[in-house]
Amino acid sequence: MKPQRKRRLTTVFLILISSAFGSFLIIKALDTNLDFFFTPSELYSQNIPDNKRIKVGGMVLEGSVKRDKTNIIFEITDYKNSITVNFNGIVPDLFQEGSGVVVLGYMNKDVILAEEVLAKHDENYMPPNLEIEK
Amino acid sequence: MLIEVAHYLSILATGLFFLCFLFAFILSAKDIFVINLVSRVYTHGFLFLLISFLIYVWLAINDNFNVLYIAQHSNTNLPTFYKISSIWSAHEGSMFLWIVFLCLWGVIFNLFTKNIQDLKAKSLGVISFVAVGFLLFLLLTSNPFLTILPIAPENGADINPVLQDPALAIHPPILYLGYVGFVIAFAHAIAFLVNGDPSIKWESLVRTWSISSWSLLTVGIALGSWWAYYELGWGGYWFWDPVENVALMPWLAATAFVHSLSVSIKSSLLRIWTILLSIIVFSLSLFGAFIVRSGIIDSVHSFANDPERGLYLLGFIAILIVISTILFSFRLSILASKRNIASFSKESFISINNIIFGTLIFSTMLGVLYPLIYEYLYDQKISVGAPFYNAIFIPLTLIAGIFLFFSIDSKWQRSVKIINFLSPMSASLLIAGASLFLINYFLAINDYSILLSVFVGILILVRYMFVIYEYLFKRKYSNPYSIIAHLGLSILIISIAFNSEFSSERALNIRMNESDTYRGYDIKFDDLRLEKSSNYDAVIASFILNGSDGRNFILKPEKRKYFARGQITTETAIKISPLKDIYMTIGDQLDDGSWIVNIQLNYFIRWIWFSAIMMAFAGLMLAYSLVRGKR
Repeated sequence: MKPQRKRRLTTVFLILISSAFGSFLIIKALDTNLDFFFTPSELYSQNIPDNKRIKVGGMVLEGSVKRDKTNIIFEITDYKNSITVNFNGIVPDLFQEGSGVVVLGYMNKDVILAEEVLAKHDENYMPPNLEIEK
Repeated sequence: MLIEVAHYLSILATGLFFLCFLFAFILSAKDIFVINLVSRVYTHGFLFLLISFLIYVWLAINDNFNVLYIAQHSNTNLPTFYKISSIWSAHEGSMFLWIVFLCLWGVIFNLFTKNIQDLKAKSLGVISFVAVGFLLFLLLTSNPFLTILPIAPENGADINPVLQDPALAIHPPILYLGYVGFVIAFAHAIAFLVNGDPSIKWESLVRTWSISSWSLLTVGIALGSWWAYYELGWGGYWFWDPVENVALMPWLAATAFVHSLSVSIKSSLLRIWTILLSIIVFSLSLFGAFIVRSGIIDSVHSFANDPERGLYLLGFIAILIVISTILFSFRLSILASKRNIASFSKESFISINNIIFGTLIFSTMLGVLYPLIYEYLYDQKISVGAPFYNAIFIPLTLIAGIFLFFSIDSKWQRSVKIINFLSPMSASLLIAGASLFLINYFLAINDYSILLSVFVGILILVRYMFVIYEYLFKRKYSNPYSIIAHLGLSILIISIAFNSEFSSERALNIRMNESDTYRGYDIKFDDLRLEKSSNYDAVIASFILNGSDGRNFILKPEKRKYFARGQITTETAIKISPLKDIYMTIGDQLDDGSWIVNIQLNYFIRWIWFSAIMMAFAGLMLAYSLVRGKR
């Protein structure tokens, strides 16, 4: 093999190796930082570890909203199962009983400790996965 | 009647742009007669489009609700300013504005360059081709000229109240100007590839245009961030929302592009990279339009879902990318440089900068698309949030910052020994290290990524202080625009680090005339009143805050209910100071009569936007100096 060609081959090889390594690191970072999305029914059928950040979407169950100082406790339902959510802070303006909501947080003994509560800015909004079931 | 004229003029403009494209690519572009023809046809095409748009603005100002789009998005009660901005508050109108701006860049380029300039005819041809593609998209799938017949509604609907805001009225136009400005660079790159003469310095021709677009894009993104901060009530400046990410990607690519451009102009190196980046920047701008307008990704920004629109856009973008890539691969050989890049030269550092920016773009793209891929493969919905982006952006930005620091001592085209003991470099390292020690000692920061970020930020800051000193007092030449922009970067790094370290928030449960404390502030709930405005009712709370330093002030957060849509919005109250913002919002009233109130202390947040303004200012000044230098 000509020395020039050999050098070129080494360069190509090095570029391939380093980009493969870089991609590996990026994908690894991606995989460890995904937020999985569940409906209340899916939560019951799967075992979710406490330290995994998850998103749960559904409707706010009518009559379930309780307030205690700055805490708000409510249930998210998909009309089959429901799950209790505990959140400290101000819920969005569009949050109300019987409308769609998505929460981001951690499971703790069958209760979700929410870090964020989102209500979509659209009265016709349905959380994903729920549109067919209702 | 007028609306039909506007509609007709737009169709006419599409036809003229198509002619312009044909003339530019079929007739011999070396013939001065052809260039004059292309130039004139283009200007007329733009004139028709502009008149069409101005008629549209006129109709919006005069509440012509015969036009379906205006009826749906404007209202007789709105101030004139918002009647105009309602045009770009939804899909059809904003697409219209987007296209007008695209063609505006083209016409400015057309009018301010001589017809004998290299590549002019073909560049105008490319711009026309892009314009035709998007005009057809507008007229066929999202026509803003549709009318309601025979009877028009009396009042019109309203624009979404969260959009009735001065920052948001100017955020889309500036952002769009930034996005589509890269069409000039893209068009020249394509024209250059078609032409195939490597001696033409297309890079120098597009520098001013690219720098100005980059500056506008920077301002546009910063405005959006500022608006979200005070309007949405969450108190953050960046949420890693997919639509923010699709604006960030062209910005990153454009930043890499303007750096690569200066290398290609100075030393004819990295020409392949530069041309590839010009294609990538524009493709990413178009990709952003696709993501926002197709509704395939769920986001606070997304317009209504419409698969037909998404498919058309994706198809057109694919055509542009395929043509560019084929041209690019055919002409690769003419671009190859015989010389190698000397190690430790400025070029070598900019190459590394390009690789880092490329990785950031790739990661962001992955973050945006991965949920789609994952759902398709595993039938499981996921989302990618801040933790992923932090894991990628923090280390890579810091590495880029360290390379930037070393690059300040490097020279163009040659390798110089940059490690030197008695130099500003080692002095900066010493000062940054010492200040890091002091910061750690007095502020007790334990997070390594914060400490490292502050270190890198101060390192760049101090190093540039030496550069400024030498520039002012020793008359040693350096590029002042580069100094300002990179100082902006160092301030950005430091303020983001301090912001995430020190900022805090708490929800309070408080009654009228009661007090509570938070971080040295006594908060007294002083007053609550109802107020009627022309298009909403408001509940305005009033809080008296007493700082531990003895200064007191009043904050008045409010909640509004708009009549037209019954929508409730939160208006934040912010006490601004250089060090921190005190930020209050009110929530719901509980059954016992008390209120939920949120208070946040946001440190260094103003500096984040200030740094963006510095970068944009540097870019605009550079563009201005280039324009003036030519005359």
